[in-house]
Amino acid sequence: MNGPLPLSNPMAPRDERGMPVPLTESEHIAALKGKLLKDIQRSAYVYRVDCGGCNGCEIEIFAAITPVFDAERFGIKVVASPRHADILLFTGAVTRAMRMPALRAWQAAPDPKISVSYGACGCSGGIFHDLYCVWGGSDKIVPVDVYIPGCPPTPAATLYGFAMALGLLDQKLKGTHQIEGEADRAVVAHPAIALDVRVEIEREARRLAGYRAGRLIADEFLTLASETDLTLDECMKRRLSGEEDPRLAEILTRLWDIGAGVARG
Amino acid sequence: MLKLFKIIADAGEATAKYPFAPFPVSPGFRGKPELNAAQCIACAACTTACPANALTMGNDTADGTRTWQLNLGRCIFCGRCEEVCPTHAIVLTPEFELAVANKADLLQKATFRLQQCEQCGQPFAPAKEIGYVMDLLRQSGVAVDEARRAEFASCPACKRKATVTRDAVSQHLSQEAEQ
Ligand code: SF4
Ligand code: SF4
Ligand code: SF4
Repeated sequence: MNGPLPLSNPMAPRDERGMPVPLTESEHIAALKGKLLKDIQRSAYVYRVDCGGCNGCEIEIFAAITPVFDAERFGIKVVASPRHADILLFTGAVTRAMRMPALRAWQAAPDPKISVSYGACGCSGGIFHDLYCVWGGSDKIVPVDVYIPGCPPTPAATLYGFAMALGLLDQKLKGTHQIEGEADRAVVAHPAIALDVRVEIEREARRLAGYRAGRLIADEFLTLASETDLTLDECMKRRLSGEEDPRLAEILTRLWDIGAGVARG
Repeated sequence: MLKLFKIIADAGEATAKYPFAPFPVSPGFRGKPELNAAQCIACAACTTACPANALTMGNDTADGTRTWQLNLGRCIFCGRCEEVCPTHAIVLTPEFELAVANKADLLQKATFRLQQCEQCGQPFAPAKEIGYVMDLLRQSGVAVDEARRAEFASCPACKRKATVTRDAVSQHLSQEAEQ
């Protein structure tokens, strides 16, 4: 698509700044959709519209129809043409080039149809949200009924999203807003251990195990060391006996060395 | 044929029972990040680390508040926020059933108070950070009592000014001495 479309193009409306305006559904179609959901007594056909994702989402959609998750046992089938579809799955952050094909797929699907934003990209643009060449989410171009977040959503999350789109399961997530209370106070971790020792242990564990796992291991070690009545040596011997993961044993031993060094002074 | 049936019977059923039964996620699964606002000091380390900009923070200086916001629709469940959080306030839970019909339900927010500088009255840091810093100093063996809170609750510019004044007095660089 070269150059901006004429603003009057009813198939792909834009506002005066050239930004896409989402298509809308008439009330009549919205009512039909409610009726379809209420007594859908047959399979629901899904058509995937790739609006410029990384293909991760497609892989998880296909994982959801493999025998392990088997969406087809509920009659959910992925079809090859939007003309057969009840549900349109929009993946990807909607690149400029894929906007028109996505709109044409939406228009080709018979009413009433359910549109689903799939993945972080579809919901809000995801990691691509601030790129120059994307519109940042399928709700920028079509009316969306259900958002399935995740990058990519797991097959189980996909099944949950389908069930929500078909009105079989209820939404669990609610928007929240926590307000700081008067007496709120952040608790310092492991207060019994001097700060520089804690920092040294945490650094070493993270150096050896990587950032996230290192933190968990350091936490385990510091909890063990500060909450035991035994000496550090006895406590660590007990912890390491029967430890089957040699990497974890090595890291804990290294932390034990540091702890013992500190104890010796 | 019978042999085939036997193989099938031996293999058992591979299909997960979900959604009719809870789905057991694998160990280390990274699901919805959950903030424990009581433990959060609004330091914004997670906001800086978040590669998808799902976490954002905004100050409202007129109101004296700072608001943390997580957009689950943008989160890629990488766990960087959990890694960098100094107080273990944000943790990735195994929760994966996050689909919503209403986009606003994807937003998780928390509002914190900002600390006004004791000298000039300008907000300069989250109030909870002050208490946390004093606790950390105590943990590293510095005796700080609550009476010194005002010192900690001063903005860097006022602290600098106070230091210069104090040093000027202690080194007799008062105006008379300079003449
Ligand atoms: S949400 Fe993630 S996995 Fe899906 S298309 Fe976007 S980047 Fe790829
Ligand atoms: S898990 Fe990753 S993307 Fe999600 S809020 Fe944390 S840092 Fe951001
Ligand atoms: S890093 Fe932790 S303490 Fe800092 S703002 Fe984020 S959640 Fe709160």
